[in-house]
Amino acid sequence: MARSVPIGLPGIHQGTPPSDPGSSRGVITGVGPGERGATIDTVTTTATGTPTRAAAERPPFVRPRSGRLLAGVAAGTASHLRQDPLVVRIAFAVLATTGIGVVVYGLLWLTMPVAAPGEDPEPGTVQLGAGTGRRQLLVLVLLGLAASALFGQVLTSSGALALPLILVAVGLAVIWRQLDADRTLALPGVRWALAGGVVLAAGGVILLLATTGQLTAARDGFTATLVILTGVALATAPIWRRLLDSRSEERAARVRSEERASVAAHLHDSVLQTLALIQRHADDHQAVSRLARSQERELRAWLYDPKVVREGGTWAGLVAGMVADVEADHALIVDPVVVGDAPIDDELAALGAATRETLVNAAKHSGATAADLYTEVTPERVSVFVRDRGKGFDPATVPDDRRGLRDSVSGRLARLGGTAEIRSAPGEGTEVELVLPRVSS
Amino acid sequence: MSGPRVFVVDDHAMVRAGVRVELGDDVTFVGEAPDVGTAVEGIRATVPDVVLLDVHLPGGGGRAVLEALRTELPEVKWLALSVSDAAEDVIAVIRAGAKGYVTKTISGPDLLDAVRRVAEGDVVFSPRLAGFVLDAFAAIGAPEPAEEATDPGLDLLSAREREVMQLLARGYTYREIGSRLFISVKTVESHASNVLRKLQLSNRNELTRWAATNRLL
Repeated sequence: MARSVPIGLPGIHQGTPPSDPGSSRGVITGVGPGERGATIDTVTTTATGTPTRAAAERPPFVRPRSGRLLAGVAAGTASHLRQDPLVVRIAFAVLATTGIGVVVYGLLWLTMPVAAPGEDPEPGTVQLGAGTGRRQLLVLVLLGLAASALFGQVLTSSGALALPLILVAVGLAVIWRQLDADRTLALPGVRWALAGGVVLAAGGVILLLATTGQLTAARDGFTATLVILTGVALATAPIWRRLLDSRSEERAARVRSEERASVAAHLHDSVLQTLALIQRHADDHQAVSRLARSQERELRAWLYDPKVVREGGTWAGLVAGMVADVEADHALIVDPVVVGDAPIDDELAALGAATRETLVNAAKHSGATAADLYTEVTPERVSVFVRDRGKGFDPATVPDDRRGLRDSVSGRLARLGGTAEIRSAPGEGTEVELVLPRVSS
Repeated sequence: MSGPRVFVVDDHAMVRAGVRVELGDDVTFVGEAPDVGTAVEGIRATVPDVVLLDVHLPGGGGRAVLEALRTELPEVKWLALSVSDAAEDVIAVIRAGAKGYVTKTISGPDLLDAVRRVAEGDVVFSPRLAGFVLDAFAAIGAPEPAEEATDPGLDLLSAREREVMQLLARGYTYREIGSRLFISVKTVESHASNVLRKLQLSNRNELTRWAATNRLL
């Protein structure tokens, strides 16, 4: 009794209306006409075994961008049916012997959408190691050859037709595959493959015509067609031209309006919000100037900084972000000047932390409201100078409990093989110099 | 009224008014203009000591004013005043002949000091401008064989000039640089002037183009 419940469950599922795996399974059966009844049966068993997994959303019926052997039809189908791609591929190859497999494959290739970038269904099952991919391809090609040989046997009556037909089919397949998905013509390999496909297909057509003895007739027809096509093309050239022009104009207009929309969105998110905040805090001078300052910096970065800096990942970006943080947390205005740039590694990140500590130190103890930050990246070293014009101190008389600079700055730098130097005297402000040698480059 | 005779070119009336208030009676205002056309006419008519020139102006930018009048009025000193942080803009206006560059967020006393120094024939480097200069000359890199008939020295900063630029970028004043390097303030000024001259005369395309390239080393 207890056992009959889980077995009965899928049956109930099958009967219930949409939002249920059962209904989507019905759809598949419709798309892939009965040629893979076996696979669908397997799915049903899986669903019986683990109802929870079956309840999960089935991967979309799309062709993946990676892990393809030919056009991704088998891989996509397999992932949709939660099968090993190899099983589906062999099924296709076997079905190809009757000719149905080829036709179904072609139809699916035409109708199955390509997966959106980065949305390959279950890459784990679809992805192939380079080695297995090769081997599988080889095996499948052999299978396909065997299948077509059988297919050719079937067509023995018009056996002479088989070879040209196969040639045309292979040529078309190559062309389709090259123009499929996101391959660009810029890649040289793609162009050669395309040319090869065209030659193959053309050869097939000529062979076909030759074997059927209609080559001469076709040649006359070809000439006539060519003349007519040329005439039509010349006559309608202005229309094509105008179509192309209006299309490019349309595209330019769209780009412009998109850009305008993105600028408007950015201004709304940043400047307008800040202006509203400033109005609300009009009496609080400190808040107003802080808001204005942070907005100014943000807008500047958006307008002038190179993309790499804005998006982080480089020293200049790190410094800009750090300065923004320090200014937000402390009443200190920092004017950073960055010369050169480098990608961030662990050592630079540590130097950044030490720099931040130095700035915070200046904000807390110097009494100054502004500090200069200068940092220079050269192939040999990265140096950082933080200078304030505050009250200064005598470095020799720093009490032991004020260890911010000594521990977190000097210590950190020493561990990295760099140096930290503090120049200060009462009444003359302070300058901290941090130098980090760059060994790797 | 005393001090240098100043002409303000800026398309924002608020900035012009603000500059007038901040400089106060320490300088003599001889005129102001909101765009390139009126600026050229006004400066030609008044021949001021110093022109405070906005980099971004309707009708061609501050550079257009500079290029129109620089050879005609060599005695006029130009100080670029801008909110722009774009290195191309700053370098371009310096190369067109400005004697210095300050941002509009500069404090009143600092602006006055800058105007006076420019009026006396010195150059004015903000830390940011010094940083741009260092970046620009670093981007040029090692001297290549000079294919054009230029003084190769124009494409490089001397060690001392580099030192001065670095200290300027670190926020040091000329006086502080002098005492740090054990040289006189006049010597610091002459180093700074030399750097500016190199920036203006070097015809390496990289100088105007460097900022557009990826700055990764």
